[in-house]
Amino acid sequence: MTQTILFSGIDEPGLNTIDVYRRRGGYESLRRVLTQMTPEQVTDELIASGLRGRGGAGFPSGKKISFIPKVNVDKYLVCNADESEPGTFKDRELMQKSPHMLIEGIVIGAFAAGANRSFIYIRGEYVEQADIIDAAILEAQDAGFLGEDILGSGFDLSLVLHRGAGAYICGEETGLLDSLEGKRGNPRLKPPFPANQGLYQGPTVINNVETLATMPHIIRMGGAEYAKIGTESSTGTKLVSVSGNVRRPGNYEIELGVSSREIIYGLAGGPPPGRDVKFWFPGGSSSPVLTKDDLDLAYDFNTLAQAKSMLGSGAIIVVDDSNAVVDVALKLAKFYKHESCGKCTPCREGTRWTVSMLERVDSGLATPMDLDIMASVQEQIMGNCLCVLGDAMAMPVASMITKFRDEFEGHIEAARARNPWGPGAVAGGDADPVLIQGAVGA
Amino acid sequence: MPRPNPDTIAFTIDGLEVNAPAGMMLADAAKLGDVEIPVFCYEPKLGAPVGACRMCLVEIEGIPKLQTACSTPVRDGMAVTTQTARVKEAQEAVLEFLLINHPLDCPVCDKGGECPLQDITFGWGPGRSRFIEPKRHFVKPLALSPLIAIDRERCILCYRCVRFSQEISEDYQLVLQERGAESFVSTFDGHPYVAPFSGNIVELCPVGALTSQPYRFRARPWDIEGSGSVCLGCPTQCNVEYTVRDERVLRVLSRQHDGVDDGWLCDRGRFGYQSFHADQRVTHPLMRVDGELVPVGWERALDEAAAALMAAGAQTGAIAGGTTTNEEGWLLQELMRGGLSSPNLDSRQGGMLPRALHAALHAPSLQATVPDLEFAHAVLVIDCEPVDDAPILDLRIRKGVRRNGVQLAIASSRPSSLDANAQVVARYAPGAGEAFCVALNAALAESDAGPGSAGRHGIVEELADAAGADAAEIRTLAELLRGDGDVRDVVILYAERLTQGMRGEHAARALLNVAGRVIPADYDGAGLLEVPAGTNGRGLREVGVLPNAGPGLEPSTLIGLDTAAIGASAAAGAIRALYLLHVDPLRDLPARRTWRGALRRADAVIAHADFLSEGLWEHATIVFPAESHAEKEGTITHPDGRVQRLRPAIARPDAVRAEWNVLADLSARLDHDPQVLSGPMASARLFEAVPFYAGLTLDELGGRGVRWPARPGAASWPAADMGPFGLEVPPHAPTPNGSLRLGTFRSIWAAHEVEIAPALKFLRHAQRAELHPSDAERLGIAHGGRVTVGAHGSQISATAVLRSSVPEGSVFVEQGIAEDSAAELDDGGLVEVTPQ
Amino acid sequence: MIGRRKKRADTAELERPRTRVEAPTPEVTRDVARFEHGSRVPGWDDAVDLEKDPAVIPDPATTPVPAELRAEIEAQMAKYPDFRSAAIPALAAVQRHHGWCSPEAVWQAACVMRLTPGYLISVATFYDMLETRPVGRNRVYVCTNISCSLCGADELLARMKEETAGDPSFNVRGFECLGACDIAPMASVNDVYVGPMSLDDVPTLVTQIREGLPPLPNKQLIRRKSVDPNAASPGGGASA
Repeated sequence: MTQTILFSGIDEPGLNTIDVYRRRGGYESLRRVLTQMTPEQVTDELIASGLRGRGGAGFPSGKKISFIPKVNVDKYLVCNADESEPGTFKDRELMQKSPHMLIEGIVIGAFAAGANRSFIYIRGEYVEQADIIDAAILEAQDAGFLGEDILGSGFDLSLVLHRGAGAYICGEETGLLDSLEGKRGNPRLKPPFPANQGLYQGPTVINNVETLATMPHIIRMGGAEYAKIGTESSTGTKLVSVSGNVRRPGNYEIELGVSSREIIYGLAGGPPPGRDVKFWFPGGSSSPVLTKDDLDLAYDFNTLAQAKSMLGSGAIIVVDDSNAVVDVALKLAKFYKHESCGKCTPCREGTRWTVSMLERVDSGLATPMDLDIMASVQEQIMGNCLCVLGDAMAMPVASMITKFRDEFEGHIEAARARNPWGPGAVAGGDADPVLIQGAVGA
Repeated sequence: MPRPNPDTIAFTIDGLEVNAPAGMMLADAAKLGDVEIPVFCYEPKLGAPVGACRMCLVEIEGIPKLQTACSTPVRDGMAVTTQTARVKEAQEAVLEFLLINHPLDCPVCDKGGECPLQDITFGWGPGRSRFIEPKRHFVKPLALSPLIAIDRERCILCYRCVRFSQEISEDYQLVLQERGAESFVSTFDGHPYVAPFSGNIVELCPVGALTSQPYRFRARPWDIEGSGSVCLGCPTQCNVEYTVRDERVLRVLSRQHDGVDDGWLCDRGRFGYQSFHADQRVTHPLMRVDGELVPVGWERALDEAAAALMAAGAQTGAIAGGTTTNEEGWLLQELMRGGLSSPNLDSRQGGMLPRALHAALHAPSLQATVPDLEFAHAVLVIDCEPVDDAPILDLRIRKGVRRNGVQLAIASSRPSSLDANAQVVARYAPGAGEAFCVALNAALAESDAGPGSAGRHGIVEELADAAGADAAEIRTLAELLRGDGDVRDVVILYAERLTQGMRGEHAARALLNVAGRVIPADYDGAGLLEVPAGTNGRGLREVGVLPNAGPGLEPSTLIGLDTAAIGASAAAGAIRALYLLHVDPLRDLPARRTWRGALRRADAVIAHADFLSEGLWEHATIVFPAESHAEKEGTITHPDGRVQRLRPAIARPDAVRAEWNVLADLSARLDHDPQVLSGPMASARLFEAVPFYAGLTLDELGGRGVRWPARPGAASWPAADMGPFGLEVPPHAPTPNGSLRLGTFRSIWAAHEVEIAPALKFLRHAQRAELHPSDAERLGIAHGGRVTVGAHGSQISATAVLRSSVPEGSVFVEQGIAEDSAAELDDGGLVEVTPQ
Repeated sequence: MIGRRKKRADTAELERPRTRVEAPTPEVTRDVARFEHGSRVPGWDDAVDLEKDPAVIPDPATTPVPAELRAEIEAQMAKYPDFRSAAIPALAAVQRHHGWCSPEAVWQAACVMRLTPGYLISVATFYDMLETRPVGRNRVYVCTNISCSLCGADELLARMKEETAGDPSFNVRGFECLGACDIAPMASVNDVYVGPMSLDDVPTLVTQIREGLPPLPNKQLIRRKSVDPNAASPGGGASA
């Protein structure tokens, strides 16, 4: 059930250097691509492999590259290394331990797309990883895998590592492009899609770290061979970041289609002794939550979508029964409120409003009717926003209210019983203590 | 560059089939089917839609998610619905979200009654809010600048104002700070948002978050009336709507005209209206009695004026300033030529151009229009700083560069605010415009003929040296204008100052040679566009306010004195009476010293003025009160030939009379009755008198004006030799040799309304001398230090401003300001700059 | 952002007679919204200073910029097809140089990049890691997102703040997910990831930071092996 492709020998000392990477057969796929294949053939292999984007949206990667118009303008490849979806840390491990695998994938992807300039947009917090990549880029340049006339093929590619500065929204591809262009990382209106007008208005292919790092392996194995791993619609292996209330949190490479229970209990060891899974996020904090009844679902794109959730970035967060759902909902909502870029109305105002309502729920100053309003506000956010950040809060919060409505109501009752004036109550305060609290916290 | 010419397509909206141009955004196309889609952030003037407010969500057949109508272009066969439950829910949701942060203080909000948020809430809103949390409260209003107040509680973060600052005026001062629900509109570190076009954000704001300081709490929408006219502040003649309450102008709004202003106004035009109602305004005829100007009755003033003019007869000189209307200009030349037999009248600042050159420079076949600036392949701006000389054209040029990829070239002596947008920037010595044109002509000739015949039109290096310019820059510029050999739309925008002065006619010929080489004859979308020195400079020349041409540029039987010669002759006693129509020579004209003598010596100085500036205060013998912009009636002619109609918005205060009436009355008293009894009659007589205006009527002009070069009457424009001309070797620009070349400019803020309107007073500034840091270091001058700029015995005081973009060896000082004006010094000469 | 006006605190002092319930007395102020994570200072209540000149592109003639800073920013600008892409690197550079994105620092970056300071402050305030008010030079970002908080991050942040209270050389902040949930609860200490941390680690860590030593060497993420049982297996070739 486990297959190691990306993680094969990942802990080998010195793998981050070009010598060790090459000794292990690194850059051979690139050599094959540049000396024996045309861009179309590379794209065809990627399509044949069935590889779907590993960043969250799960769009077929080969198809994405095939959308790049074959016109004679500057084209770009951007590697999305702004891994900021809560619960996700797989790209970090890849970049830190095997940066050349990513660089090789970037050159292959750029060759297929006809791009001559490429960028890695890495989140600003990953300083250690960024330093490792910077060193790897220099090595790759010296070895002739980057720069002009790579391996004598006539193909040129520059690669620049761009460090972000801390904004979740820059993981959204168009927000990332604006940020890379030196602006505020506000998502753009689509269409035009990046494939037609992306970075600097040029055709741009944007791929996640894991997606690009998989490309050398697809070339090595052959697309058809790679497609045999996993299920029909979710081929290959996937790095899954498991965290939260589990005994062995970390990254695991799994074959898509294994049971979720196998990942959570088999690999990550399940919740600490004496506790049980209460609910779990199957694909980062933006995915609607699933409960322990869903543990036997196969972990692949389609099965999770049928269960009204998603595989997303492949980050499983397990919450055990010692935690209150309201706390998690509030934490989540606060995160999205903090990270909303503020460009579109439903997301900017909806996240703020949801946080205020959840704070009232938490402090006992809400009624069950507020839960209906809160659910309706999530409905109003979903589908009405410029990008998916609004939905990323609305979907899990709505799923929590639906699946744990009784607990929400109980939480309100208990909080009210504990403190009739609410936690912000103060003798001699303004009209109503919670109003003050609301004004401060809003 | 081809202008968009889309096909017409058919789509259905709410079941109704509607025709619209392909590619039009759905939010606009819906209006063609009488369907209104509510919007906040969408404003076509601001460029590409951003889809931020999410108000305009509609359902489109075949697309599962709701789409923003503001960003969806219509396609043939598209079926759109705006009335379904889903759309309604989305609209209500967005409004509910917007209102949770909005204070709903409509009863005390200036925007109340004309507020899109109010209207849209009323029309599309849910009617009630479920938001029971406390709203945010902040200190308000806060100053954003002396002109604009910001109320952040009301802001709905629609992005319009910051998009204006960033994508239209490109000043990038107004920005959003922070992120998400905490975002707010602000400037850097508490600096005020002061920029030439800042007031437009007030008009753009769809709520009451940005309000005009001068208009706050002055009126409610039901107190006011709108009255359309044209701004007389500068040659761009923007179309405006005056907001009038009880015969007072309280506000100026843009009356969008894509052929003129694109819907924007500069702050001088927007806030200058306060000067219409200033206490210092002249509202009665004044006469100098015992050395003092005292109010007198009209009869006495007119009689005395007539007597003084009669006494001087042909020894009268008349100068019309920029804000004079066509009708007034025509009546003035009737008065001068018919009543006094004096040909000594002018509307230019100096240097008489031969009639034929006027005819060539403004020939309809060579005339570019304002929209051409936006769609040309290349635009050359020469000797002109658009933001100062014709502010709104600055925005138009930026728009062309940003949206249509217009290649911009700037040739000037002073650094231009458009330098950053230009592909080629060429600098030359102050006053060396002619030499630069001759050098450019030679560079173009060289590229036409190939290296073999180099030098027939002069050697580029030598000519560039004479212009104080760089030959390589000039060659690059020539290449840009040439392009890759295909016919290109090239527009040359130049300021009238290029063709003024002693060598103006030589510069004009050089310019025509350049135009002849890069602009195909009779080619739409390319041509010359002049920015006249005065608002109606073009119109005044066309109606005959020139010493060498009558109405319609008819040859004048007598050749009179031009402005400079009138001044010199008056100073010498040969001109005995001066008739100053909207001009104060000490303020508006060069050679201040000569004019001081002239005004002192003249027996009679008769002026039309709304304010007594220095020259009139000290020297005028009779002052007729002038109308304000909002009171004027008549026509003016835009630099691209558009005749525009002025309509009075308010009544004239006190004893102010229509100036056409004053001129006609005076003319009649001089036994030359022009037979004009009303404003429309004056216009009709004018249209008869100018052959290429023939057949125009005020009705035809309407609210949008008419470009006469595009009418059949244009055939009556006098034929002219369009060149190429043989060119003289231009004089060599002076070599600094330790002193500095003097360049002068007139800033957008150098205007009397800026000194008078309380709101704009803060923009007045004292003289500043701009110079390069290395010159400053050599001369021992520090940034901000006081310096003296002087030559030949005259000098002015200024504050030194170090600018690294100023060419070494030059110093720039400002004209048109009240004190220490550069008019004391001679442009293009050498000056000594010394620290005080 | 410096020199901001003091906020009104008067309304909070109004007497509220009907409340006689014993209640905790948190500090109630009418201050503007502050953030859970203390990352930003909203300027909602700030008016402009009308005495100042408008903030146009700074002129090099009157804006001194340290030579090494200018060189660093110019090198960044050269890396991109559009120089504006260097906005974040330039701001990061001035932040390293000045300790935070002070008005002077932003002014210098704007001067080198030929942009208005407004453009850059708009960018700077968007991103969490660019500080637009003075902060201590030792950055400790404690992740308080879901996975970490399930493992006790909130207590860790409180403990960390307590331990460094009053020390101006510290900049202790709660931070959104730092992408290291496998070592939850964790912190980024001057860019070095450490975890999983216990409350007992805090005094050691603070001492190490004060003394300029590497933070918690045994808990640094960089030394951690993959937990995937197959990752380093012989089949995977690690021993090859």
